[in-house]
Amino acid sequence: MQAIKINNLTKEYKDVVAVNSLNLEINEGELFSLLGVNGAGKTTTIKMLSTLVKPTSGDALIYDYSINKDADKIKELIDISMQETAVARKLTVEENIEFYAKLSGQTKEEIEETKKYIYSSFELDKVKDKKASKLSGGWQRKLSIALALVTKPKILFLDEPTLGLDVIARRELWNTIKELKTKMTIILTTHYMEEAEALSDRIGIMKDGRLLFVGTKEELFIKTNKSKVEEAFIEIVSGGELNE
Amino acid sequence: MNKSLSRVFTLTNRNLKEIIRDPLSLIFTLALPLFMEILFYLIFHDLTEQFQMKYLAPGIVVFSQAFLTLFTGLLLSTDKNTSFLTRLYVSKAKSYEFIFAYALSVLPITLVQSLLFFLVGGIFDTSLFGLGMMLAIILSVVTSLFFIGMGILFGSICNEKSIGGVSSIVIVGQSVLSGMWFPVDGLNEGMITFMNVLPFRNATMLIQNMIIGVNDSFNDFILPLLIVLGYTVLAFVVAILVFKNKMKEK
Repeated sequence: MQAIKINNLTKEYKDVVAVNSLNLEINEGELFSLLGVNGAGKTTTIKMLSTLVKPTSGDALIYDYSINKDADKIKELIDISMQETAVARKLTVEENIEFYAKLSGQTKEEIEETKKYIYSSFELDKVKDKKASKLSGGWQRKLSIALALVTKPKILFLDEPTLGLDVIARRELWNTIKELKTKMTIILTTHYMEEAEALSDRIGIMKDGRLLFVGTKEELFIKTNKSKVEEAFIEIVSGGELNE
Repeated sequence: MNKSLSRVFTLTNRNLKEIIRDPLSLIFTLALPLFMEILFYLIFHDLTEQFQMKYLAPGIVVFSQAFLTLFTGLLLSTDKNTSFLTRLYVSKAKSYEFIFAYALSVLPITLVQSLLFFLVGGIFDTSLFGLGMMLAIILSVVTSLFFIGMGILFGSICNEKSIGGVSSIVIVGQSVLSGMWFPVDGLNEGMITFMNVLPFRNATMLIQNMIIGVNDSFNDFILPLLIVLGYTVLAFVVAILVFKNKMKEK
């Protein structure tokens, strides 16, 4: 079953076409990575899919709901973790979770269940009484991603989830994302090629708002005659010779 | 509970916690004005009428509200720049719910300010206690809305680094143009007219007149109230438009 179906999605700003006639289908339960250099249009794509930004033209269906017409319905199905750590800094970890749960309209019993689920998935119970501002960068990012799960989304958008984290924190977060992979559809943008290689079911490569490649790692390697995602990525965005 | 109301309440609760857990906000909105109230009274109340408690306490109440612009703006600009607001936009909360929540979260602080400065003022001058004080406390909620509206407006426009400087316009405006720290009688007519068309002196006079009494109901109450309300409505309308526009840009 398709979770997302994108048809000719385009976003233009004054003199820049951030996303240019994007066509893509993402299956339910898939972890799809969007790769691209800065300004490729990854974040704009995610923002359009999550109804934060209106497309200039085209549409995308999220479980058959249009991002142009059914924003409220889509908001019930998705959540997003932005590149920046987005938490309430002076609230404790527990208060942050409660805040998001209440905002999404959960009852007291549901909030307690949500807390248990988040604690067990992210081991955040160790730091539940700490204010978010007192957590290390890795824990803050973990909390930021965890908050996106409070609403129990069917589709999770992760925009550069491990940006700025040290190697250990990044690996820990990878493990968490691998766990999540079994429970929902995940669309992830990243600059780290090894991250895409380790986590993705399929990869999309964008440049200047256009999607240049969509497929599995194996298909990417065959297309570029390379054996590493990083090398294959460079081959594609630099316009190297590709196999059919 | 209505879903929209429930979201406003949840957002308000969070905003209030963020503000009161910042020690600086308590220092600037409560401790510093309280220190100034006591200090200026003790040093100057025998020398000039300006610093008698019936003028000083209402003046301090409104002066302390000017800092609400800074802290409301700081919270909003931080939320905006850390993508906290962007993330919340994926929830079903609407722009007006965010604005209401930012405004409502500051009102308890306004009430604490008014109660504290009037009660302490009343210790030094018991004539402050009475119906006038109660009316002054109620009206101080109205005057605070102007400063809160300015905070939401500045917070929508500025980032965390510039919000301090921009908010100081209001703080300095309230200090210099309210007429609470010096007698305005010696100023030229142009300056007095300038002060009278801005909200700062009108907000201060409005609260002071509740304590000292209203002789001319139009000039002492209705006109200053209308001017303050006019600026408040203007601040909120522009704040809502800018806020919505900024969120669209995101």
